[in-house]
Amino acid sequence: MQISSKDLILIIGLASAIFLIAPVSLIIYVMQYNNRKKRHEKEKEWLRTNFENELLKSQIEVQEQTMQNIAGNLHDNIGQLLSLTVVTLSTIDTAEPARVNQKVNSASELAKRAIKELRQLSRLIYGQELLNMGLSQAIAFELDYLRNADLHTITFNSNYHSLEGYYDKEIILFRTFQEILNNTVRHAEATAIDVLIEQSEKELAVMVKDNGKGFDEEKVTKEKKGLGLFNIRRRITLIGGDVSITSQNGTEINIVIPYF
Amino acid sequence: MIIGIWCLYRDKEPAWRLFIPFLIVTVLVEMFGIYLREMHRPNFMIYNVFLVVECIVQNYFFYHLYKTYHNTRKLLIGWLIIFAVAYFAELIKNHFGAYVSQTSTLMSVELILASVYFYYLLIREERSRQLSAYAPFWWVNGTICFYFAGIASNLFFTYLVQDQRYGVSGSARYIVFSILNIILYFSWSYAFICRYRQRTSS
Repeated sequence: MQISSKDLILIIGLASAIFLIAPVSLIIYVMQYNNRKKRHEKEKEWLRTNFENELLKSQIEVQEQTMQNIAGNLHDNIGQLLSLTVVTLSTIDTAEPARVNQKVNSASELAKRAIKELRQLSRLIYGQELLNMGLSQAIAFELDYLRNADLHTITFNSNYHSLEGYYDKEIILFRTFQEILNNTVRHAEATAIDVLIEQSEKELAVMVKDNGKGFDEEKVTKEKKGLGLFNIRRRITLIGGDVSITSQNGTEINIVIPYF
Repeated sequence: MIIGIWCLYRDKEPAWRLFIPFLIVTVLVEMFGIYLREMHRPNFMIYNVFLVVECIVQNYFFYHLYKTYHNTRKLLIGWLIIFAVAYFAELIKNHFGAYVSQTSTLMSVELILASVYFYYLLIREERSRQLSAYAPFWWVNGTICFYFAGIASNLFFTYLVQDQRYGVSGSARYIVFSILNIILYFSWSYAFICRYRQRTSS
């Protein structure tokens, strides 16, 4: 069979065109893949910035919380004790030498209590620095402070040992813990609080349980009162963790984050 | 060639500057080839010699591109040995009397694989690149298009040169290669411009 010259040109042209389709497709694929990589890089950058913002916010909030605790303590305890000391000292009457000694002793006792409270307070200020020593110590100090108020029976168990390079996760987790504890103290009307830190090979679990009145998460979220809850979930998701809340005869909040 | 000289003569990379003499040699070879054809004298030998230059330059440049990722010196030497064996075997088989089209096809296949491997390295690296201004990418684009489609023409070549009755064999191949040359040199010129912009902006 003979091929005409027209057919021959057509065959060569077609063959060349078909052979061109393959490299062009390959080039398009490489370009698309590169664009996907670029998008992924942007997303990663956005997540990193978001994480850094959140970390900074958490650090500031931890400081704010500490300052609030300090202010409360100064006003409610140390301030009162020093006022009482002043009142006691001002009522000393030298004309009654028998009572002077008693009043001085009483003022001295009050001053000693104020000093004790101040020491406690300085430990609290130091508390935020304790995160450098590990999450467990920071939580223990926070609970110690709460224990002083004598309103709750507190238990704390931990098998936590700090791993290097997890400060970012720990500060976010600690701030979340503070948020949970605040909610419990303010709204739960609880008399007992149990805190448990359980560290396994790959995970770190923090459980906060109280015997308070509990709450309906859905209802709280609908009524837009659940900003704290929303923050807790958002932050824990940001560090790749998971939050579960059970509210029945009290509230139990479980946080699990990857930690290895 | 003019774009190449203009954009690359001050390039800091010798591998890129190598294109200036290569393109000058290419133009001279093409002119001499056309002259011989006009004189009705065989011009295959000049293209046979040029194929060696082409193979060395292209493969050295691929070697230079791969250097960003890892060293492929052994691969380059291995390939050049294979090429030399195939080249001289075909020359001897043809009694030094014809174009080494099979070796040329083999080289095309190798350059296609080299291009694909470059894409693979590009995809595998973690960072993304501004491909629209990435000179090596456009150089490889031109190369892969030229050799991929060139294979189609080369595969027909033996058949075409025998089929002189139609009187179209030469012209068909000429048209195809003209289009491929436009694609190749357009892509390479753009790569040289990217390279020039990169140099002047840094």
